[in-house]
Amino acid sequence: MLNKRTLARVLDEALKKGGDFAEIYIEEKQGNNIFCEDNRIEKINSGREKGAGIRVVKDGNTAYVYTNDLSSRGLCEAAAIANHAAGSKTNRQPEEIAFSLKQPTFNIECKRLPNEVAFDEKIKHVLAANRAARNLSDEIRQVTVAIGDMNKKVQIANSDGELAEEERCRVRMIVNTVAAREGIIQTGYESAGGVCGWELLDKVSFEDLAEKAADLSIKMLSARSAPAGRMPVVMSSSAGGTMVHEACGHGLEADLVQKGLSVYKHKKGQQVAADGVSVIDDATIDGKYGSFCFDDEGNYGQRTVLINKGELQQYMYDRLTASKDGTKSTGNGRRESYQEKPITRMSNTFIVPGNDDPEEVIKSTKAGLLVKKMGGGQVNTTNGDFVFDVQEGYIIEDGEIKYPVRGATLTGNGPEVLRNIDRVGNDLGFSIGVCGKDGQGVPVSDAQPTIRIRELTVGGTLMGDSPQVKRIRRK
Amino acid sequence: MEDILKPVGEKVLQAAQAKGVAAEAFLLHEKELSIEVINGQVETLKQAGEMGLGVRIINNGRLGFAYSSDLSDQAVQETVNDAIKISAYTDSDEFNIFPTAAASYPKMNIIDNDISQMTLEEKIEMAREVEHIARAYDKRVSIIERSGYDDNEYTALIMNTNGLYACERGNSCGLYIFLVAEENADAQNGFSMMINKKIKDLNPSLVGKEAGYRAVRSLQARKIKSARIPCILEPYVTTRFMGLLAQMVDAESVQKGKSMFAGKVGDPVAASVFNLVDDATYKDGIGSFPFDGEGVPARRNVIIKNGILQGFLYDTYSAQKDGQQSTANAVRGSFRSLPYIGTTNFIIEPGHANPEQMIGDLEKGFYITEVMGMHTANPISGDFSVGAAGIMIENGEMTYPVRGVTIAGNLGSFFQDIETVGNDLRFYGGRAAPTVRLKSLSIAGE
Repeated sequence: MLNKRTLARVLDEALKKGGDFAEIYIEEKQGNNIFCEDNRIEKINSGREKGAGIRVVKDGNTAYVYTNDLSSRGLCEAAAIANHAAGSKTNRQPEEIAFSLKQPTFNIECKRLPNEVAFDEKIKHVLAANRAARNLSDEIRQVTVAIGDMNKKVQIANSDGELAEEERCRVRMIVNTVAAREGIIQTGYESAGGVCGWELLDKVSFEDLAEKAADLSIKMLSARSAPAGRMPVVMSSSAGGTMVHEACGHGLEADLVQKGLSVYKHKKGQQVAADGVSVIDDATIDGKYGSFCFDDEGNYGQRTVLINKGELQQYMYDRLTASKDGTKSTGNGRRESYQEKPITRMSNTFIVPGNDDPEEVIKSTKAGLLVKKMGGGQVNTTNGDFVFDVQEGYIIEDGEIKYPVRGATLTGNGPEVLRNIDRVGNDLGFSIGVCGKDGQGVPVSDAQPTIRIRELTVGGTLMGDSPQVKRIRRK
Repeated sequence: MEDILKPVGEKVLQAAQAKGVAAEAFLLHEKELSIEVINGQVETLKQAGEMGLGVRIINNGRLGFAYSSDLSDQAVQETVNDAIKISAYTDSDEFNIFPTAAASYPKMNIIDNDISQMTLEEKIEMAREVEHIARAYDKRVSIIERSGYDDNEYTALIMNTNGLYACERGNSCGLYIFLVAEENADAQNGFSMMINKKIKDLNPSLVGKEAGYRAVRSLQARKIKSARIPCILEPYVTTRFMGLLAQMVDAESVQKGKSMFAGKVGDPVAASVFNLVDDATYKDGIGSFPFDGEGVPARRNVIIKNGILQGFLYDTYSAQKDGQQSTANAVRGSFRSLPYIGTTNFIIEPGHANPEQMIGDLEKGFYITEVMGMHTANPISGDFSVGAAGIMIENGEMTYPVRGVTIAGNLGSFFQDIETVGNDLRFYGGRAAPTVRLKSLSIAGE
């Protein structure tokens, strides 16, 4: 990491011919990945990388230059290009920037650093997970286990004199299983991870995760085809928060709101969800996959109430979008790496638990779909339309879980769903993922309690028994 | 650039040979420029360059890999050492080999000097024009989400201890726009992109107009009842399905039982009008390059001919395992990861039908213009169920836009159900497809 004198020199160069704001982001990372498939350790990947991104903002517009030449000369050259690209023309009086190092508000603890745990030990866990999944049944045809860890040191300095430094360790594990029976193939998936070191192993058993994934793929072999049509949907907390992240969270990111690309624009203070629904983004939860003390602009990560009892309270901001709205950053400026400029991103996003007993929510549902595990999803933030894949779904009849169904998707509209949530459970389940936006992936987590949506479109391969369908079949 | 990269590669091979292991050095230098314009202003301008090294080691059949963005002598030595260290933990596999030196590489014209010669201001002007044309297209075009110009230039060098040596420089450029049209509280997205090898072929006006057209035509969309009717897929939608197809013809997926095409070479897997190729030598193709990510010479591979599966896409490892030749389909996203099997210019070959006639022939049908959640489809079982939007066809005419429906089925019957292939091949990056018509698809609506 650089000393204050060099940082000041680079930033001075970046503003030499004017500009409103300059920033340098330096990153040094070291990461390892282990991948097991076909019962063998197939790939191990290890690497180190360092680089810097320099940003100059002028009249709300950004010039961004990155380089992996971290010499003082290399950085000053990059800064000069950024300054030129920002289109600044007036000479500015040089002024010495006095940096003050921001003190962290909390410590993200990392006990067992990725590089302090030997490959032998990591591989032992990978192989154990592989065995656990395969031992469950002969119908398990393939198991892939991947673990990854990363140690990333960042230093961020800007022309306002702010200086932040953070070391972030992140570990994760993913299991995919394939089960087959008489020509039918189904898959299972489980993951775990956090901003922490390999002490994660004390909390999470990789073998259990692998068994769960294998169990799911086997269960889905005997699942029936999902029905199609409108029906009540109960989403168990085990489904994680994919839906709230996709169908609500993205629409509350200030860059999308400001560009008019969100259904939530001009809705602050309005009722946008059912009374029982509150949504929070919180970067400060200990050890979660989307946690950080400083965001990638050096602002403090924080807990932001986005929706309170159905009322839209706040959007998520980074520095640039906040200044456009005349407000402060909510610490949601994140970037994938030194190669990207920071943009508004979520951290750990969740629906706040309510008072309902999850079992009672199912019992009180006459007929519908129970979603225990979500797959991927996609949302159109402009109109709120979304589609999600259901990994593990069950049919509810007369308040009882009857049988598993496969191939279901949920199609709907974010705001409509939030208004249609009529039960909110007292539990909370997290899932982790890498969220993609503008080509940048950042680690996030999301969560929700068990919730019930009055009605949602379930797409499936089985046609509903409606009169229209019959007419078409007769044709 | 070659004179900077080559000595690094030589150091890698020397260091590996001193330890008695086989090795491959992959070196990449990349330069990129991206310009994002909003309201005629350059909102973001990004310029960057980077270099890096990826080292593969084969140590008694065991594979090791490490990478570094630092190309100093010490870092190169450490990277080689890391790769050797890692090789101790992977399983030995007799099929792990490096390709041998190639007799020659196809001669290709993949660098357009006009790209680097055009000034920044001219490029900004092109991006501005895209936005301007889009706004002028229709007054309902209300929001420009992103609009811009991108170009990049890359030099890739591969050398291995079998004496293979390959180095080439290429570049490309593109324009894109994402926008929104609004009418009566309804908002719909539209986009267009054009990626080219030659900057003189970029057409800002076409890009702007197409995006406006795509958004406006979707306004005031209705929902429809569930139905099973003939469907026409716009080329863009077909290229989305081709992502799944790419996985299904990837030899590694096949060998691992992750493709429904396993064991089907020589069998009909699609309708007889369906022809699929992957061609790294395609003239002016964005995926054209004289060699793949392992240095194997580029070639044209016919994958499905008249509906019959001809073979799969191989890298050196998977080819060795099947007793085949590599099809030169090892690709590398960056120096940070191992090569993997991927497509180059992946093309559904055009047929003879006029797209307008394909629509005109239908009494009732659905013209699909957008699919959402394609990644949820399962290439192993072939099951898919994705969100879709499009336009209803009635009595041979496009009538009203539709959104919020789900199309579902199995990829096996999806490709068998293609009855007509249009003559309008359209590229989206490295994938190209014409308009295709399917006998029927199950559409879940209200």
